[in-house]
Amino acid sequence: MTLFDGVIVVVFLIITFFIGIFFYKWVGEPDDFYLAGRQLTPFILAAVITATNVNLYSFVGQAGIAYKHGIAILWQTWTGNMALVFSGLFIIPIMRRLRIRTIPEFLEFRYDKGVRTLVGVLWVFRLAFWLGVVLYTAVVAAQAITGITSFTFWIVVFAFIAIVYTMLGGMWSVAFTDVVQFVFMLGGALIVLPLAMAAVGWMPGLIAQLPPDSLTLVRAEGTYNWKFILAIFLLGIEWASVDQGLLQRAFGAESTRSLAKGMVLAGIITTPFALLWNLPGLAAAVLFPGLENADQAIPTLLANMLPTGILGLVLCGLISSQLSTISGNLNGVATLFTNDIYESLKKRKASDREILFIARTMTLVIGILMVVFAYWVPKMGGAVEAYLTIIGIMDMPLFIVAIFYGLLWKRTTPAAAWAGYLAGALMGIYGKMVLGYDFNMTTFLSAGAALVVTPMVSLLTRPVAVEKIEIVWRARQISDEELASGHIYHIIPRTLKGRLAFASYLVGVVVFLSGVVLGHQGTPLASWVAVSGMVIYFLSALVRIYVE
Amino acid sequence: MYVDWITWSIWLLGLVILVVWIYVPYKEFKTLLAKHQNKKTSSEKPPTSSGKTT
Repeated sequence: MTLFDGVIVVVFLIITFFIGIFFYKWVGEPDDFYLAGRQLTPFILAAVITATNVNLYSFVGQAGIAYKHGIAILWQTWTGNMALVFSGLFIIPIMRRLRIRTIPEFLEFRYDKGVRTLVGVLWVFRLAFWLGVVLYTAVVAAQAITGITSFTFWIVVFAFIAIVYTMLGGMWSVAFTDVVQFVFMLGGALIVLPLAMAAVGWMPGLIAQLPPDSLTLVRAEGTYNWKFILAIFLLGIEWASVDQGLLQRAFGAESTRSLAKGMVLAGIITTPFALLWNLPGLAAAVLFPGLENADQAIPTLLANMLPTGILGLVLCGLISSQLSTISGNLNGVATLFTNDIYESLKKRKASDREILFIARTMTLVIGILMVVFAYWVPKMGGAVEAYLTIIGIMDMPLFIVAIFYGLLWKRTTPAAAWAGYLAGALMGIYGKMVLGYDFNMTTFLSAGAALVVTPMVSLLTRPVAVEKIEIVWRARQISDEELASGHIYHIIPRTLKGRLAFASYLVGVVVFLSGVVLGHQGTPLASWVAVSGMVIYFLSALVRIYVE
Repeated sequence: MYVDWITWSIWLLGLVILVVWIYVPYKEFKTLLAKHQNKKTSSEKPPTSSGKTT
């Protein structure tokens, strides 16, 4: 990296910092800090969701897997996008109508305060650990690309900027720095794609020089085969329905309708975007074969291919991807603590000023914890593997209890929620520790246990008062807020055009799943069918949210 | 001259998204900014003799 590239990066970091602290004055009450005053519009929301979800794992880690195993890893992002659309159309609108800030808060609405506090506490630690991993990844990548090898230097740069602007401006700062960072991320990827493809002789050159299976999207065999697509799709739906970092942005939407639009748009724009970072990973396999660590594929490509100045701009894109993820999740953890632990356990109602003070202090405390975890990650060996296992064990039972039974079966009781959640988590631990299952099997086991135990305990315990459940059930219908504002959103469309789009959406699901299952035969047709189904799915969802 | 339509189609789609996501959020930000400035101005106005802000 030259001095000129360095200057570009420093100027970018300074601009990001000042954009972030500009919004300090926009924070007057807790909802401003947590949810940007619930004023986010669909396009801003889509950029915010995308910037938070796309991080260095996408640019470096996923492109590294494409380098090693081929293009099939794209499904990790694509099925996540499909899940985002599903959740945005059917699940999160219900929660937005309840005007909640966190998923644990929803658990109190549906079950009781005990379930809310249990999940709130567990998730504060889970997200703080995730932040440590994200910060660590950012530092390692910055070291490799820039040649500045001081670990502490990069920790200070990333942590200081993200903590200060998130602490001051809360979600307003997170949202607008995310929009700017999204533009840089996309701009950087647009610079790299044609340069990488030209170097390998464009698409025909890439096809000719890669092993035949590298460009097959749905495969019969290998790590990223058709079963992987089904498993990751299921996990994607879980992620898009209960992930605090994601949902907090969605709850910041100006209306339920804007929320649905924002989530559908976010899912759609990330789909071609994923090609922009995975195709260079494949190009690196041709240009720099035999790298010991596949994660070095993109850093090697960038360092060898980009001219002075351009490298600086692309680096800004990579830094953006990580800063937006850190700041978004930092705000999420501060909200979880203040909303679900501090406010929930306090006997008297706290003033807005006090809540803001606690939320800001917690942003700082969690930021410090993130730095401690980041130093700890290299000493822990397989930290990312450990984190993925925690997701399988902790998140999947939560999805079953909160979303699957919580929204679909009135008879589910608070005791059953406790039992289902704990049974799922314990079976996950048993599968991982005793049976030695991998990440996918651990997830299926924890989900299965929660699926079986929750209804059994529900039938053995006293039903919850109907009035309590009705609050959640009524949220399926349009709210008074929607009627007053005129921004009405029907989860199941009412007009003929809307219903046709909905039917087409269902056709997309069936075609997509048929393509994936067809993958077990190893036919090239499977990839075409699955991708066609995905395209029908996205286009129908887009039409569905704009026709009504 | 050879044109790789697959690569350039993906690139063009990315460019369209980039342009839209610069233009629309900028417009939306201006609206939000105006709203916040109005809110700030009205809250800073001194109360009238009847005790109400104008």
